[in-house]
Amino acid sequence: MKEVIIRIFKIGLREIEIFSHRPMYLFVIIIAPLFCLIYFTQIMKRGIPTKMPCGVVDMDNTSTTRSIVRILGAMQNTDLKEHYSNFSEARKAMQKGEIYAFFYIPKNTTEKALSSRKPEISFYTADTYYAAGSLLMKDLQTTSELAGLAITRATLTAKGVPSSMMMAILQPITIETHPLNNPTLNYSVYLNNIVVPGLLFLIIMLFTAYTIGYEWKMGTQKELFKMAGESSTIAIAGKLWPQTLLYCLIMVLIDVYFYKYLEFPLNVSLIRIICAGLLCVFASQALAVFFFGIFLTLRMGMSACSLFGVLQISVSGFTFPLTAMKPIFQYLAWVSPLRHYYMLYVNQALNGFKLVYAWPSIVALLIICLLPLTILFRLAHAFKNVDYKP
Amino acid sequence: MNIIKIWYDELQTVFHDVGIILFVVILPLAYPIIYAYVYTPEVQRDVPVAVVDDSKSALSREFLRKTDATPEVKIVSYCTNMTEAYSRLERQDAYAIIHIDRDFANNLSKGKQTSVGLYCNMMSMVYYKCAASALSNVSIAMNRKIKVDKYLKPKTERESQIMQTPIDYKYTSLYNPQGGYAAFMIPPILMMIIQQSLFLGIGMSMGRNREQNGGFVIPLSPYYKKSVEIVLGKTLFYLLLYIIHAIYAFIVITKVFTLPQLGHYWDFILFVIPYIIDCCFLGMVLSYMIFRREDCMLIFVFMSLPLYFMCGLSWPGSAIPEGIRYFSYIFPSTFGLNAYMRISGMGASISDVSFEMKGIAIQICVYFILACLIYTRKIRKMLHKEV
Repeated sequence: MKEVIIRIFKIGLREIEIFSHRPMYLFVIIIAPLFCLIYFTQIMKRGIPTKMPCGVVDMDNTSTTRSIVRILGAMQNTDLKEHYSNFSEARKAMQKGEIYAFFYIPKNTTEKALSSRKPEISFYTADTYYAAGSLLMKDLQTTSELAGLAITRATLTAKGVPSSMMMAILQPITIETHPLNNPTLNYSVYLNNIVVPGLLFLIIMLFTAYTIGYEWKMGTQKELFKMAGESSTIAIAGKLWPQTLLYCLIMVLIDVYFYKYLEFPLNVSLIRIICAGLLCVFASQALAVFFFGIFLTLRMGMSACSLFGVLQISVSGFTFPLTAMKPIFQYLAWVSPLRHYYMLYVNQALNGFKLVYAWPSIVALLIICLLPLTILFRLAHAFKNVDYKP
Repeated sequence: MNIIKIWYDELQTVFHDVGIILFVVILPLAYPIIYAYVYTPEVQRDVPVAVVDDSKSALSREFLRKTDATPEVKIVSYCTNMTEAYSRLERQDAYAIIHIDRDFANNLSKGKQTSVGLYCNMMSMVYYKCAASALSNVSIAMNRKIKVDKYLKPKTERESQIMQTPIDYKYTSLYNPQGGYAAFMIPPILMMIIQQSLFLGIGMSMGRNREQNGGFVIPLSPYYKKSVEIVLGKTLFYLLLYIIHAIYAFIVITKVFTLPQLGHYWDFILFVIPYIIDCCFLGMVLSYMIFRREDCMLIFVFMSLPLYFMCGLSWPGSAIPEGIRYFSYIFPSTFGLNAYMRISGMGASISDVSFEMKGIAIQICVYFILACLIYTRKIRKMLHKEV
């Protein structure tokens, strides 16, 4: 046992020696994830995008329609940028990317409204800009609804309904929304909690496959195998422990930055979410070793890791729900560390649910961590017989 | 003439190297399919919700029936109290709870305002948006009816219609009529794949040259004399190859996965050729940092996501901080993704994307000069060593 530990330790020291010659390693392991952390939290600093450019085409231009436009201008998400003189001008502006949506009031709207002839106003959003489009849509819909209600209000006043009863007539049922644990709909909380760890896991997978394959590239795999006493487990363990320490450190740093510095919602102890993160770090490494073990070439190993690492950001389902994807991706998600991290984060950090409901993910992650055991014999074979192929 | 020779050389090296083929041929062909496949269901329907109906009245049941009938949500369980409903959330059998108050019907009949509670698990904005929009649409429809039937008392059917909506409105979602995810995710991803695979391919061939020629990036051939020729020769190779990829993305992927296709072919060609050239030049500049062929994967792969967010498509450009916006002008993708999205998805003409085209033009000039300078330096270094 003692001998094993000494071997692992020595291989690790050899690894650190390699690291010290290559500044790019530090860039990849430390600077890249931290850059992503700062970058993504900065870009979404304001939480939810507000005041997005929107246009209006007011063909009627009466005091009534102008008051509708004023209502629109006062909305939270809308930055009323420009009045266009006709529809195609507004559409052109949309194609140029100047506005994300516009409001169209046709001629004679006021006249028709006053004579009960049901005029129709309309609004258009550019839904190729999804977030902007759907946020503006809400504002535009509210404005349109209010325009109609203003007329009803006038009718009711004429009938002598007191203003104290007005709201109960105009809007008898209201919806009280309670977005649990993210009351301000903060996109930074929603996205960064997954995007940043997702990129870290991607980097981990790539770098793990890279450092292992590097031995073959340099032709030093036999030397390493000898150092490990002809055991691929020891060789891999020795090679990976120094970087594992760094990854863990970064994972902890990310969590502390999120939950202590930026004060993202956290409904369990910090330790628990850190543990979930670390488990996923190990699972990512295990998966990378597994992929390398299958292909046994640096190039294919890394390609598989990058494909999987990038794909799991989509497949984890934090933007487009996994439940709506094709079944094949729902199976694939079971081996994705990021998917399980997402489930654990939602269950624990975001909502503070009971730990019982988290066990499927924890078990899945533990099984992923054991995957490399299945390809140890292939690695041993590779150490002895396989040479580097460019 | 040397340009042609260099072009042929690059062609030979790339097609004898499986690793590079993987990046410059297979990746641009396969990734679009995988991504389009992930996002083709386009929309989330029938988000499972739990209901706590304390009112148990005809009105509350009507409200719930209408909610269940919306495409967005599906009521999966009726719970007796909030604790029970919350346990549904915990088990993820449901993603939201609709709570109807005990005096819901009472209030309505007394002419008081009443409210319906929506409690949503915020794990995904999509669930929240579905539930919130379903409830708000149902409440708008019911409010109209209550308002008219109870207070305005119309005499004819037509009058009732007019009173319900004195001003009608119509919502049109332009350029993405089904409000789908694929239609806004895939087009920019297509262009991102072109840029990233070019960076990877060029970086890898640079790394390969360094490894094979003992640290030099330029092969020891008599026609590798002028840096301008080297840059142009290599670019010619990638340009010809990537035009095929681009057309494949613009025509095949868009058609097969039925993405919005409003762009004109020649507008697209006019945009994509400069874009590919731009990516090539920057690829050559960046590959200055690549010493070993596999290094480029470590550096370029993770960059895709930050670059994607930078360009202001999924995260609105107006919400991106100034500093990051200026930083984003360094990369072709910022202009390329926006221009492609608007040409292919929104039917913009080349003059509508003139801002982006100017950006690409400036980048081409700058990166061409930089790439030439880098190669000049390399040639000098080599001559120096030889002497």
